[in-house]
Amino acid sequence: MNANRARETLIDPTLSDQALAVVRKPSVWEILTSEKYFKWTLLIPLLLLLLVFMLYPLFYCIYYSFHEWGMQGDALFIGLKNYRQMLHDGSFMEALARTLEVLVICIVAELAIGLGLALLWNREFKGQNIVRGLALLPLLVAPLVLSLLWNFMLEYDFGAVNQILTAVGLGKVYWWSPQFALFTICLITIWQWLPFSIFVLLAGLRSLPRDVFEAAKVDGASGWYTFRRLTLPMLSPLIMIIVVLRTMWLIRLFDPLYGTTRGGVGTELLDWIVYRTAFVYFDVGYGSAMAIFSLFLTIALCAVMFRLLMKSLGVIK
Amino acid sequence: MKRIAALLSCALVIIGGTVVGAMAQDAKFGLEDIPEIKNKSALNTIVETGQVWDRIMPYIEEFTKKTGVKINVERVASPVVYSKENVELMGGTGYYDVVYVETAWTTEWSAYLHKLEELASKYDPAGVEGFRQDIAHHSPSILICGQAYGEQMVLPFYTYHMSMFVRQDVFDDPTEQANFKAKYGYELKAAATAKELYDQGEFFTRKKGDLLKGKPLEHDLYGLAMMAGAYQINDEISCRMWGKGADYATVVRDADGKLKEFVITKKDKDALKETFAEYKKELQWASPGCLTANFDFVVAQQGEGRAIIQPHQFSNCFAWTASIVKEKVPDGKLGIWPTVGGQPYTGAWSVGVAKASKNPEAAYWLVRYLASFECHQAVMKEGGQLSTRMDVLSDPMWHTAENKYPFGILCDYLIDSWKKQAAYVPNYWYFNTKAGGKVYEMQMNVFHKPMAGEASVDQAVQEVVAKTLELTSKFDKTVPIREEK
Repeated sequence: MNANRARETLIDPTLSDQALAVVRKPSVWEILTSEKYFKWTLLIPLLLLLLVFMLYPLFYCIYYSFHEWGMQGDALFIGLKNYRQMLHDGSFMEALARTLEVLVICIVAELAIGLGLALLWNREFKGQNIVRGLALLPLLVAPLVLSLLWNFMLEYDFGAVNQILTAVGLGKVYWWSPQFALFTICLITIWQWLPFSIFVLLAGLRSLPRDVFEAAKVDGASGWYTFRRLTLPMLSPLIMIIVVLRTMWLIRLFDPLYGTTRGGVGTELLDWIVYRTAFVYFDVGYGSAMAIFSLFLTIALCAVMFRLLMKSLGVIK
Repeated sequence: MKRIAALLSCALVIIGGTVVGAMAQDAKFGLEDIPEIKNKSALNTIVETGQVWDRIMPYIEEFTKKTGVKINVERVASPVVYSKENVELMGGTGYYDVVYVETAWTTEWSAYLHKLEELASKYDPAGVEGFRQDIAHHSPSILICGQAYGEQMVLPFYTYHMSMFVRQDVFDDPTEQANFKAKYGYELKAAATAKELYDQGEFFTRKKGDLLKGKPLEHDLYGLAMMAGAYQINDEISCRMWGKGADYATVVRDADGKLKEFVITKKDKDALKETFAEYKKELQWASPGCLTANFDFVVAQQGEGRAIIQPHQFSNCFAWTASIVKEKVPDGKLGIWPTVGGQPYTGAWSVGVAKASKNPEAAYWLVRYLASFECHQAVMKEGGQLSTRMDVLSDPMWHTAENKYPFGILCDYLIDSWKKQAAYVPNYWYFNTKAGGKVYEMQMNVFHKPMAGEASVDQAVQEVVAKTLELTSKFDKTVPIREEK
């Protein structure tokens, strides 16, 4: 027995069991669960997954953004040509401008309406659970399905919305006209994501300390003053979180286009042009350059907002 | 007596021989003709969602029972088919054994597909001759669409050959005919020219309360219903371009008939410009909803009695539109005619065998079976789609008094149209270039721009030419392309 253990540990066979127990090499399991390495044990599977599914495609994408490749034959290194082409590509620039327009419209609308409804729903009222439950529904439906549904509902001749408008004497609205189509896309997006803002802000309002507001009331502060000087500053970290998350998601807006205009009538956004270039034309190199640009744009915008968030939380000055 | 008996015997032999010969010639390839398949590896394929494949699934199960080869069928929305297959084909993964192909992609994918005649010579006891005999029942022009450089790469499954649908009851109405003649000075009949189509669009666009066939309308009426959305507009434009004897690029061949080059001629550019301008002008006689419309919307427009003409529509929507008309407009009836210029967009969803397939033998037989009389009859009878086999379309069952409308006239239209168009199809540019699929997708986006006011007609033509040159140079390295200045 001692001899076996000694072979395993390469330790003097004359040592007693007790002494061996003290100096023997720890097992793999013991190493993995030791205080020193446990954090890595937990992190490594995740890091491996990230490496395979995030970093590898990212580097692959960066690599191809410097090449011309149509998924046939060898990729041809062309340096910065794809990036130069992108800067001179009118369609790409228009898509970028539209994306920023959608970004601003949606975030402003979602925050304004979301905050209004959150303030309204922050009171006790009859049927509040039903109203809140129903309000969550748009978030639970797949975005692509929603876009197809809205496409039918907003159809000019047969759509339910125009039928209702006609029935009440308001006349038809041409929702997908070149003048309106981008706003219609915004409308669908806002309708779907409004509950997200409402519930995040509602949760924030519910967690605000009551004593501060009671003190303000005692001091005779008006409702508007209290909202401006207390509610809004206290909610600002949550507002920043909404802005950061929605910025990331809106730059990648794709589904509402797929089921409706397919990028037509002046609604082509950044992600659609990337999709069209990389997965319809299979111009992988140029599509990759566009995707990398989109990624760095998101990172840059979010970095600025994250800094603002940290400031609002008082983490940095 | 002996002489008479001998003569009678000879006559019987001749008659019998003729009958047997005719039967043999008319014998159609079916499941029973598939020989024992040695390779039993399962096949993977990808097809569209929808009724036709719902109805074909039992036939695929029968194929499995007969051959012992399991078929895994992946079903996705049709716009997704191309990208999913493209990735697997180009990556050479061999994941899809049987490939579902829109004919505009055939040449593009030819490097990744088996030549069917080579497979026939390898696996078919009837050899190449037997293969040729069976496929000769298909539309000659559709078969050409499924060829690349003269080789049959895919076999058609169902067609979406285009046509013009008119409200025949309105066209045949004496009051409408008289009013039309009084206003335009010529007879009201299915439009054969752009001017006639424009006039008819204008003539039939009416407001609620105006008269149609002497009765007041309960809603606004549009002369035309068009698919100007960034999805199927290119098929409509193709009808008109081909109808003008032009194309997106002209196919130039050498003395031996081999592809020499593609040239975007001045005539092609002028025709495209003219087509865009005509189409845009015609749009004023269509519902504003047409600007984002696909086929389903326009079918509903005409079906519900809100539009009189679908100038360019997939023929496989004819019976569907007719069924809506029957329900919504009780005295309404449709007519089917060639599109303006007489060269409608043509093609078919087809099936081919991937070169990287693990089991080309079974894949070949599945392709043959899917293109057989038996499956094509099911495509028409059960699936509600249009067969490309002339023997199916000529079947007397479609021409009975009960089925003549809508099926009989539809079958007659297709047979007639294919015969007339077969001479032109070999030189349609889409079917000769490896960049066909890419250019086709680009066109959806760019053709829509002048209609939506995102670009002028001139700008759109310039963009189409520039992108056609760019994509073709990039993706078709076999045949050069240039622009004629």
